[in-house]
Amino acid sequence: MSGSIKNESPKTLLVLDGVCKNFGGVIANDHVSFKLHSGEVLGLIGPNGAGKTTLINLITGIYQPTQGTITFLGQPMNGLPTHKRAMLGMGRTFQHPHLLGRCDISTNIIMGADMYNRRHGAAKEDIDGELSELLECAGLENIKMDDPIDKLSYGQQKLLEVVRVLLSQPRIMLLDEPAAGLNNREGQYVAALIKYAVSKGIGVLLIEHSMELVMSICDDITVLNFGQQIAFGTPAEIQNDEEVIHAYLGGAKNA
Amino acid sequence: MTHVLSMAIINYLCVLSVYVLLGLCGQNSFAQAGLWGVGAYMAGNVLIHTAMGSVAAFVIAIVGTALLAFGLGFAFFRLRMYYFTFASIGLMTILNGVFMNWEPVTGGATGLKNIPTFNLFGLVADSEVSKFYIIMTIGIAATILVEVLFSSPLGRSFMAIRDNEMCANSMGINSLLTKSIAFGISGALCGAAGALYASLSGYLSYQSFTYAQSTIYLVMIMIGGTVSPVGAIAGTIIITVLSECFRSLQNYMQLIYGLGVIILMIVQPEGLLGGWKSLHEWIDKKRISKDAARS
Repeated sequence: MSGSIKNESPKTLLVLDGVCKNFGGVIANDHVSFKLHSGEVLGLIGPNGAGKTTLINLITGIYQPTQGTITFLGQPMNGLPTHKRAMLGMGRTFQHPHLLGRCDISTNIIMGADMYNRRHGAAKEDIDGELSELLECAGLENIKMDDPIDKLSYGQQKLLEVVRVLLSQPRIMLLDEPAAGLNNREGQYVAALIKYAVSKGIGVLLIEHSMELVMSICDDITVLNFGQQIAFGTPAEIQNDEEVIHAYLGGAKNA
Repeated sequence: MTHVLSMAIINYLCVLSVYVLLGLCGQNSFAQAGLWGVGAYMAGNVLIHTAMGSVAAFVIAIVGTALLAFGLGFAFFRLRMYYFTFASIGLMTILNGVFMNWEPVTGGATGLKNIPTFNLFGLVADSEVSKFYIIMTIGIAATILVEVLFSSPLGRSFMAIRDNEMCANSMGINSLLTKSIAFGISGALCGAAGALYASLSGYLSYQSFTYAQSTIYLVMIMIGGTVSPVGAIAGTIIITVLSECFRSLQNYMQLIYGLGVIILMIVQPEGLLGGWKSLHEWIDKKRISKDAARS
């Protein structure tokens, strides 16, 4: 299945068109627009409080946009609850890992396969093969499956969450700072998992503060500051964009 | 004695229903004794007024109670967190009022009398022992079914909601529907317990299906622990044995349970079964540190 996707020209999966979100007087997102294609990694960067996580919560339906439309697989998302969007193939991770605290590691992982089965109405084939490949990417091949989840380090928990999402084979994957709090080695595992997703034709939206990861892996980057999209382009263009440099290093016109 | 054992298993089925709802799905209900009553009166009426027999009455009680619980769950679970628990207290109160006052169906204050005993295709269970075997079989079957549920995708979606609802939603799990199914399954278990109770005792009084009885189920699962059906079994046995041994202190039992639960929740919040686990871990740790000291 993944092979056929690779041979096609990249397909548009997610379209945001003028998405705005106000919390009372605070404007968290102001007319954000972009497209996410299959097999593409789109970086979403910006200083703290720029509205990046809010944007993911808008895409997944935890919040509803004040204005603008979100289209996923050609289908308008407005008003659709979170679980229905997930069922269409929207996978996400959280800034702090959201795992099932009272379940063991294997149950946490199987949830990903369960989600695939729920979406397709059929049992997923060759879970073991795919899982061992994913665990190897994540550097988790030596964990004991029947251990409680808190035996894993914080970084391992975050990696496990990505593994779980990938096992559900989503169409897009929204990663909310997957490398935050991780050491260098674990950061490389995140990169390996993102590459795995790309090879499966999954569109990846990556929120991340680690510029090393963002610049090395993203095809395109969009920059948010105070909810506004101040730049869009390839990593090289973004690195030389004056407004971006100002937003990050201070002294920007509107700061 | 056999009667006590049969009653213990009937109680266990209700405690198992709390295990499914609270232990697996994380939703606390005070209406389980009410659902038990719904099942009992349904089965009782089928047995008294029709000639369909025990099996049909049993099935009707299970399906009827499950559907009622599922439907109510669909309304109640629009409330979040402990507001569902509040709603369940309301439901318990309403059900008890209905049992007490709906005379044509429940016999009102005088109760529902002369319910026929178990009749399995002509085989009449007229002794306490044969009744016990029937009830025991159902108890074992229910435990196996709950174990199957535990390791099924549905069971895992219950646990996902229990542990992290937002994460469950982002994995495509519909909270409202899944919680309602959990309440429906717990209703089915209570319905089964009710049908068994109707045929075991032959008489139903609204005084059996009270808020206090619901609390006892919660006490049982809290004492045993919510980690597995074994906790439900342990809790039921402990409370049943205690109340049989201290029959002379019956008036004080509620007080003793209350104090017991408070102490247990402070000392060992996971129940006795959880305590057993941490005891094992503690011994293992001691052993490892001893070995380390030696080498």
